[in-house]
Amino acid sequence: MGPCGRVLWTLLSGPKGRRGDTQARAFSLWSTLHRLLNPTELVSHWTGVFEKRGIPEARESSEYIVAHVLGAKTFQSLQPVLWTQPLTPQQLQSVQELCSYRLQRMPVQYILGEWDFQGLSLKMTPPVFIPRPETEELVEWVLEEKAQGLHAMGAHGGPRILEVGCGSGAISLSLLTHLPESQVIAVDKEEAAISLTCENAQRLQLQDRIWIVHFDVTSERSWTHLLPGGPVDLVVSNPPYIFHQDMGQLAPEIRSYEDPVALDGGEEGMDIITKILTLAPQLLKNSGSIFLEVDPRHPELVSSWLQSRPDLYLSLVAVRKDFCGKPRFLHVQKSGP
Amino acid sequence: MNRHLCIWLFRHPPLNAYPRCHIYLHSHQFKQLHLKTRLWLLGQNRNHILHCFLNNNWSRRCCHQDTRMIWKHKAFQKYMEDLSKEYQTLGRCLQDVPVNEADRKCMTRRHAELSPLAAIYQEIQDAEQAIKELESMCKSLNEQDEKQLQELALEERHNIYQKINTLYSELFQSLLPKEKYDKNDVILEVTSGRTTGGDICQQFTREIFDMYQNYSCYKHWKFELLNYTPADYGGLHHAAARISGENVYKHLKYEGGIHRVQRIPEVGLSSRMQRIHTGTMSVIVLPQPDEVDVKVDPRDLRIDTFRAKGAGGQHVNTTDSAVRLVHIPTGLVVECQQERSQLKNKEIALRVLRARLYQQIIERDKCQQQSARKLQVGTRAQSERIRTYNFTQDRVTDHRIAYEVRGIKEFLCGEKYLDQLIQRLLQSADEEAIVELLDENLKSAK
Repeated sequence: MGPCGRVLWTLLSGPKGRRGDTQARAFSLWSTLHRLLNPTELVSHWTGVFEKRGIPEARESSEYIVAHVLGAKTFQSLQPVLWTQPLTPQQLQSVQELCSYRLQRMPVQYILGEWDFQGLSLKMTPPVFIPRPETEELVEWVLEEKAQGLHAMGAHGGPRILEVGCGSGAISLSLLTHLPESQVIAVDKEEAAISLTCENAQRLQLQDRIWIVHFDVTSERSWTHLLPGGPVDLVVSNPPYIFHQDMGQLAPEIRSYEDPVALDGGEEGMDIITKILTLAPQLLKNSGSIFLEVDPRHPELVSSWLQSRPDLYLSLVAVRKDFCGKPRFLHVQKSGP
Repeated sequence: MNRHLCIWLFRHPPLNAYPRCHIYLHSHQFKQLHLKTRLWLLGQNRNHILHCFLNNNWSRRCCHQDTRMIWKHKAFQKYMEDLSKEYQTLGRCLQDVPVNEADRKCMTRRHAELSPLAAIYQEIQDAEQAIKELESMCKSLNEQDEKQLQELALEERHNIYQKINTLYSELFQSLLPKEKYDKNDVILEVTSGRTTGGDICQQFTREIFDMYQNYSCYKHWKFELLNYTPADYGGLHHAAARISGENVYKHLKYEGGIHRVQRIPEVGLSSRMQRIHTGTMSVIVLPQPDEVDVKVDPRDLRIDTFRAKGAGGQHVNTTDSAVRLVHIPTGLVVECQQERSQLKNKEIALRVLRARLYQQIIERDKCQQQSARKLQVGTRAQSERIRTYNFTQDRVTDHRIAYEVRGIKEFLCGEKYLDQLIQRLLQSADEEAIVELLDENLKSAK
């Protein structure tokens, strides 16, 4: 009990002399309360609650929520002094409220209203797709290729990039941050995604180099109006690639909160992938590149699909594995007219 | 160091005579020698600095820190004279005598090396000359008549002496070998001891970690927390931080080792028994390498993340961004969960791993360099007990230089008290560096 506790205890216990049994009971009550007031204990408490209710990532969820309320990104990065300092009643109430969302299986990223991608803090709002850590590796790959200059992207000025299905803007905005000369055209068919990308671009002061367009790639509308500056150097996309029959097995966090349009790739998960590949030759400069994130079953499917479409002049030049060792990323290159 | 130095001198009695005659020989033969030999001699000569220094160093101790006396040591004076002669000769050679390009390069480099030394030495000589003049003037003064003038002269002389002292310590600094990693940033890790009295060790670990955090603030360094694993009763199991700023490694490199605490515990399980407990914690200080210093082959890494299984990608939404890196060839393990982005955590972990690998490289270097060295500050493995914090006696003792300071609270503030001890350690290390080089040189001369 700190000095504050002692004062409270004096208040609680009333005039001196009436001690004994009541004191012991009051003390134990007080110490339970007191324990709940510090972040470490609070995290343990909510971890227990989440575990009992079968919420996945019980410890991580409660740590992120408590850290967020205390103004830190992770519990680990919270000032160590704060770990044992009691929370204010308002903070306690916020934790309580956010944890109740988690009990309804809301993804932590939506609860906090923000998440990090490649070192950028991005606003997250349902139902816009939450970027996954694998996609950070897709961006890394693009940046590596750019650094090696293998494909002569944007010999004059930075590369011009088209992103299909920008969602929260994660890929486009991190590319813009790392490639200060680059320009991005970001398209999405969902209004919510468009406005979230806009907002994130403004928060990061990148709005001058990004052109955000409401556009549906599956529609038969012409693409050319998207590219007033002519063909681009690069197409990047994390298209919906889940096989339709797998949609039912997704966790409630995904199924009930994220937009299925950003996930469902049709029967073989290829619907949007083939759309992008079909349109890409008209959008890309010669020897321009397409970088895609896909399902581990897709590299083979894409490869044989491309062989059946020699008219596209596209070839699969590289497949890269993600951090779990699954073939996840494709590099397709245009090699003809 | 002093004990060591005295023993060393005792072991090598002919030392006082040795450098002098050698230098004498060199300077006499200098002009007739073939250039190649001459360059070889220049290299040799450099080591004589250290011979002279040893003498000086030793005299300083005998003269009770009167720095003026050290520099008056004949061997040193002689050495500096030779050095400035060499400098002048080189200067003339470079101007007049035609030499080939490679030799010219060698000579220019040596000339540049000597130039600051010669400049300082010249200044010292001028100042000494001024003192002589003052003294002769004082003698000629009539004591009664010119009392005021005499006082002025004395004051002037005092000022010049002070200036000479500063100049000599400057000279000392430029003669010392430069440490390779001094300018680097560091990663500082603290780990509580696991033996008796766990909670006392953990509390002590927190106090020490706080001390270094405050010291970083005191020195205007940047302190970034990398990892923090707390224990019960406000203790700390393990923590790591990256500290960056000016000459961070130079100041913190001697903090690595086992720190011991002796106290009557205030909280925790061991506080029930009111007796003095002993606990330990260890500090590791790793110089932070540049990207180019340590290359890590990605194939040597095993990266553990939350998703070893499952479909991955869009099929799952996990928030656990913790990363664990295992460097297979060395078995080093680094963990990080400071950031929400897994990629950022991986970057941080890689940075820490690189620092640890770098440390191994440095240790290997040092082992090769100093096979014969015994008990010095700098070479101590980071597993030795270096300091004791005795709370009951309110005293901190550094075992390497037998340094004691009272006022443990002030010391743990990580400000002036700690800084003073660190300065003393640096000074001792400088002295040791000279002994070491001297030792080596003597061995090679035999």
